[in-house]
Amino acid sequence: MKAVKVLTVLLLLTATAVSCSNGPVEYRKTKPLMDTIVTITVVSESDRKADEAIESAFSVISRFSDKIDFFKHTSELSAVNRNAGIAAVTVSPETLGVIERALYIAKISGGAFDPTIGPEIRMWDFAKKVRPSDEEIRKNLPLVNYRDIVVDRSRSTVFLRKRGMLMDLGGIAKGYAADLALADLKKEGIAAGIVAAAGDIRAFGLKPGGEAWRVGIMNPRQKSKADELIATARLSNKAVSTSGDYERYFIENGRRYHHILDPKTGYPAAGCRSVTVISDDGIFADGFTTAVFVLGPEKGMRLVRDCGADALIIDRDGGVHTTPGLKKMVAFENGH
Amino acid sequence: MKTVIRSTTLADKLLFIALTTAAVAGIFYSREAMPKGSDVIIEVDGRTAYTLALDTDRVLSVPGPYGNTVVEIKGGRVRVKEAHCPNRLCEKQGWITRGAIVCLPNHIVISVGGKTENLPKGLDAVTG
Repeated sequence: MKAVKVLTVLLLLTATAVSCSNGPVEYRKTKPLMDTIVTITVVSESDRKADEAIESAFSVISRFSDKIDFFKHTSELSAVNRNAGIAAVTVSPETLGVIERALYIAKISGGAFDPTIGPEIRMWDFAKKVRPSDEEIRKNLPLVNYRDIVVDRSRSTVFLRKRGMLMDLGGIAKGYAADLALADLKKEGIAAGIVAAAGDIRAFGLKPGGEAWRVGIMNPRQKSKADELIATARLSNKAVSTSGDYERYFIENGRRYHHILDPKTGYPAAGCRSVTVISDDGIFADGFTTAVFVLGPEKGMRLVRDCGADALIIDRDGGVHTTPGLKKMVAFENGH
Repeated sequence: MKTVIRSTTLADKLLFIALTTAAVAGIFYSREAMPKGSDVIIEVDGRTAYTLALDTDRVLSVPGPYGNTVVEIKGGRVRVKEAHCPNRLCEKQGWITRGAIVCLPNHIVISVGGKTENLPKGLDAVTG
């Protein structure tokens, strides 16, 4: 009987030693920022170092968010919008950086992504099933044109040419926030981690066991809890974002009205159910999901390939389209 | 060691096997028993104020600086039904089955599966 006790104690001690072994482990913290939940996970040998790094990255995101918040009266973006058609506004390097990248994505996508969609999107209320009239949509369309954003890099100013224009950086801000947070974590000496600004995610380095980070991709037509994910990506030193017609929407007379508007028509884009883009940078992953969604599977896939990114597109009929590179990073769930 | 093992009875051996099985099973059971995104967590001022089942329909009022925020859980989804904050972004977000609704003016965060413990098994994040 004594032997049994000894063996049991030995067994339990071994299990404890394995679970409490020294070495780097994952630390994770969550904070409400940018009107969503931001979760940062880092790999570190010290909880103090991990905590300081995560808090520093949260501060970076918070400061950036204050500058580009569409609804905050004191933000730099609000100042730019208030001065539309009136005057150029001096902005910080972060705001200038995100606007310049937004313009790049707008140009390369032929305007499928357009940060001046503000006058159209503000007329919709998807929770209350409110949609503007055809006339209202048509009336505001001339205000949607990224070519009317004038950036003067040397003076660090931004000017919207027409009165009534509204720039909304919601389509790329969270991806860029993940980029900024990652840069800050690296500066703080962190070598591996994952930043998730809601569904806009950037991973770097490897998990403590030497594996890539595992990111689930939502099923746009989830029927049950078991059917929640369509695939899982294994990522290291990559960013991933998803845009879907299931996030903010309502259905009226059998038609789905969702929040991803085609800047050329002012109506929800109809070619896709969801678009996931994997890229080297968060801002491009985030911006390209919208652009590809609006372009539809065929043109969207061409854009992604031209830009050296990867994508998973679920088209309006549920068809799956992927880039060759994506298959190396993504495993589909059973039944998909 | 051989003498020790020889001196044990069948009952001792059975007990040892039972204890070992229970210990190992306990490790797996505790992992399986973790929440799987079925809870709605409502935080006020950074502290968890309510933990509610997503599969039980109910409506509740959460007080804040801009009055009561009415939260509705129905059919496995949750939304802010009524808010009185300046932009009512939380209300405009509509129903969610995963992720979070944040009302910064009222210091309220409603999350479903957005927290670490609610991530699907083995995942570090979810996009979508």
